[in-house]
Amino acid sequence: PPLLLSLSPAPTDRQNSKSLSLWAGGQAAMESPTSAASRVDFYGFLDRMRRPEAADLFRSIKSFLASLSLDEPSAEADGARVQAFFAEMEAAIRGHPLWADATHQEIDHALEGLEKYIMTKLFDRTFAASPEDAAADAEVSDKIGLLQRFVRPHHLDIPKVLNNEASWLIAVKELQKINSFKSPWEKLLCMMSCCQVINNLLLNVSMTNDRTPSGADEFLPILIYITIKANPPQLHSNLKFVQLFRRETKLVSEVEYYLTNLISAKMFIINVNGHSLSMEESEFQKHMESAKLGTQMSVASPSSSQGLATSTSGLQKQIDAEVDI
Amino acid sequence: MGCSSSLPANSTGGLGNINNENSATDSKNLKVKLVLLGDSGVGKSCIVLRFVRGQFDPTSKVTIGASFLSQTLALEDSTTVKFEIWDTAGQERYAALAPLYYRGAGAAIVVYDITSAESFNKAQYWVKELQRHGSQDMIMALVGNKADLHEKRTVSSQEAQEHADMNNMFFVETSAKTADNINQLFEEIAKRLPRPTPLS
Repeated sequence: PPLLLSLSPAPTDRQNSKSLSLWAGGQAAMESPTSAASRVDFYGFLDRMRRPEAADLFRSIKSFLASLSLDEPSAEADGARVQAFFAEMEAAIRGHPLWADATHQEIDHALEGLEKYIMTKLFDRTFAASPEDAAADAEVSDKIGLLQRFVRPHHLDIPKVLNNEASWLIAVKELQKINSFKSPWEKLLCMMSCCQVINNLLLNVSMTNDRTPSGADEFLPILIYITIKANPPQLHSNLKFVQLFRRETKLVSEVEYYLTNLISAKMFIINVNGHSLSMEESEFQKHMESAKLGTQMSVASPSSSQGLATSTSGLQKQIDAEVDI
Repeated sequence: MGCSSSLPANSTGGLGNINNENSATDSKNLKVKLVLLGDSGVGKSCIVLRFVRGQFDPTSKVTIGASFLSQTLALEDSTTVKFEIWDTAGQERYAALAPLYYRGAGAAIVVYDITSAESFNKAQYWVKELQRHGSQDMIMALVGNKADLHEKRTVSSQEAQEHADMNNMFFVETSAKTADNINQLFEEIAKRLPRPTPLS
């Protein structure tokens, strides 16, 4: 059965129940990164790598990690080296006896496992490691904290018919999960699930109300609003991490499109002003000032939306222990 | 409105193709990122939905999200072109974000509404923006949509044609409602795409 890759129904599966549920329900029908299936998949990869036949691959991984650790950490430079290593390993795995009869999908599973293994190992070195990244994260998060207090859907051109608190909450929760994972793929999945919930909402509303779909004119404003509601932890660093360390060959097409939307949501938020929220600049400044006052007064009670910011899930700890071999 | 909102039954929908392999581009099977620009309400997404729905090849993979769509077009010379269509938000407040979307695009469609002079002004703004910041070899089309509403026309075809000629774009008027010229638009883009030179 498809494990980590169960997101992509084969072309022949188009009319199966899963794709139907995409249309029928507001719930994302995609595999959650926390699912048992993706865990089994990762452990399957580790098991295979521990076999004597994989010793050569395992040595390559060890020596790559060792050579990287000799240099000063730099996310960009590390990104280039990690991508080159992924490409090298992909060729090695494709030509390896252990995968001689493997299907395309099995090879892809192995590469997902490799990415997760490498990036879990390199996480502390590569994720939000520079003071600049920490500052950028704080800037975005503080800004969102203020915007949360007064931005409403109509400020962003979101039509009333699309106000759906239940769907929006699901999207918010998906986005808030990004720090529960250390691999670029799983972080990306959280972003994609969030986008998919919005997508489903738009498609459902246009079908049930026989309404002309407006595409990005509606998608982007909702995504921005969801991002403000969610205040996802370390948004800047998460986006940068995915851009630098998700396997390049996988960061294309639809995935790239939705990632770009989240990057543009972040950019909109950083540059937000009165004009971008349909209000006079003076009114915007007034809102920001009173939001700041409100934040100072409630500083004793921590914001609930940040609950997921620092806690790494139990599952991730388990994975950390597992890769410590 | 510009197009009916029924959606095809035979698509994976949503983000179904999240993990699809980046299919290799060879001289027979091209792939192109196409970005859609234009004011909100001009029917950008209707044009694309019309195109995506209008293809009946059951073997082609279709992706229909709210704002990302992909569809493969088979040409007479037996090449296929897979369009990956990136929609952009047309409202003024999101205009500054557009470069994130058209970066790396091989084709762009700039859409206006023939009944709205303002949307034509906006289209001219996008054309200028693409000329300045888009990639040099981007194939660009200027599209006047809602051609079925010709009795309310405020933008003349001649004016638009001249603007297109001046900017080395091709021009077509479409109706997402009646499907007029929709396929022709995408076929023309497909024909104009640079073919990779085969290794000899």
